[in-house]
Amino acid sequence: MKRHVVAEFAAEAPLLEAARALRAEGQAEVDLHSPVPLHGADEALGLKRSIVPRLALVAGLLGAVTGYLMQWYLVGVDWPINVGGRPPSSPPAFIPVTFELGVLFAALAIFFGLFALWGMPRLHHPVFEVEAFRSASVDGLWLSTVVSAEAAESTAARLRGLGARQVQIVEDAS
Amino acid sequence: MIATTFQGGRRLIAVAGATGAAGLGLTALGGLAEPRQALASYLVAFVYWLGIALGALILLGAFHASKARWPVVLRRFLETIPQTLPLFAVLFIPIALGMRHLFSWVDPSGATGELLHAIEYKRPYLNVPFFLVRAAVYFAVWIGVATLLRRWSVRQDTEGGHRLTAWQRRLGTGALPFLALTLSFASFDWMMSLDPRFFSTIFGLYWFAGSFLACFAVLVIAAAATRAHPGQFGHQLNADHVHSLGKFLLAFTAFWAYIAFSQFMLIWIANIPEEIPWYVVRTDSPWGRVGIFLAVAHFAIPFFLLLSRDLKRNPRRLAAVAAWLLVAHFVDLHWVIMPRIHEAGPHLSWLDLTAFAGVGGVALAFLVFRMRGVATVPVRDPYLEESLRYQPQ
Repeated sequence: MKRHVVAEFAAEAPLLEAARALRAEGQAEVDLHSPVPLHGADEALGLKRSIVPRLALVAGLLGAVTGYLMQWYLVGVDWPINVGGRPPSSPPAFIPVTFELGVLFAALAIFFGLFALWGMPRLHHPVFEVEAFRSASVDGLWLSTVVSAEAAESTAARLRGLGARQVQIVEDAS
Repeated sequence: MIATTFQGGRRLIAVAGATGAAGLGLTALGGLAEPRQALASYLVAFVYWLGIALGALILLGAFHASKARWPVVLRRFLETIPQTLPLFAVLFIPIALGMRHLFSWVDPSGATGELLHAIEYKRPYLNVPFFLVRAAVYFAVWIGVATLLRRWSVRQDTEGGHRLTAWQRRLGTGALPFLALTLSFASFDWMMSLDPRFFSTIFGLYWFAGSFLACFAVLVIAAAATRAHPGQFGHQLNADHVHSLGKFLLAFTAFWAYIAFSQFMLIWIANIPEEIPWYVVRTDSPWGRVGIFLAVAHFAIPFFLLLSRDLKRNPRRLAAVAAWLLVAHFVDLHWVIMPRIHEAGPHLSWLDLTAFAGVGGVALAFLVFRMRGVATVPVRDPYLEESLRYQPQ
């Protein structure tokens, strides 16, 4: 069974330092929790660039192509309508919907893409058992990591050594 | 290092000034043989470079209005670009003198029918004295705002404190509506009235969109060019400043396309006889290829290039895209103005190049000249340190 080890730090520098140290020691599931953006957290956690921008680009282009082809087929091929004497398939008239559908697809891809990447909708997480962890959304700087049951105590001791103000171990029931 | 006053640029002033003088001289000589061509070429160059100065002034006002802190390090350069406006007031004289060659409403003796009707109808607005008075008012507003904003900023270099920041913010914010109106009417007077029948209320915004984008392009190029020179503003910029300028380039590339398409789309779809000829000339002739070139070169290519984060954080590559946009902007204004004298299709005269280099050369020389003698960043601005530390998430 896995254990979640959470540790609160008093300041940003030791927090990032601890994340770097644990990762250097081979821990793969280190994460940071803070109510404000942490400069340097990406680098300390070794995060790769998010795939969300590329997702948005692909979805946006797909939306634009869908929008254009839909209009071209509907009013240009399947059911031609004479609007003010213009040819049924008039590209300038198709641009606004093409643009809007591109924006819509991109926005939906970002919204639901982030949902998927965050693992939402997930209503509970074992570390929520730690009452003090609530401060992560108020004023606390927290580090979390996932280790095996045997390694939990040693990881907790290591985190205390790295300057953690308090460390707690949570059993993962799943 | 940051507090040193700028004393360099002598060579740039000499080279740009000589190029400018030669360009203007050649354009004037060409004007003796082909006055219409020379004046039209000159008008393109004039509104091109003037637009960049006005774009800088409006950007400066917008930064003051939004109390922006990150661009403080860029601000001195931004304040100095509009110091060229008095020069443009002087450069307006050839247009005023030669306006009968450009604007058919000045002397409508050859006009008939619908054109004559439009000219007669618009006579209370489109007449020579009012045209000149309006130009004087535009330049008075622009020069007044530009001079005061920079004067107070330079004064703060020795005086310090918050008081002058408050003055600049009040003037910069309050001036924005007046700058917008004068810019809009200037575009109606100097470009839209080339065809007295044509009217488009979005026209001023169209000129502004391209000019504002060109102003960002100039900022990016200047930042990249001064990056290796300690004591200059480019040297103080970090990757995040450059990234933000890149984001502005991306945003205003899209903005230009949005405005340009909005104007075209509304006129095309309404298909009204008094509006449509302007676009018929520019799309149903070989000029149409230039229009398509603009859609690709002024929008599609830079837009997709600028989506890249790495490119936006690399000053040299960003400057290359900016230079490309400056070329596309020239083609844009050429496409707006030149069909007035070359209805049949695109025609590039050597005068286009001499006028472009002429106005641009003297404007650049004057700009660098005005940069001298003061620090290249507002050294005692209360937000300068914050700007230097700029690091958005």
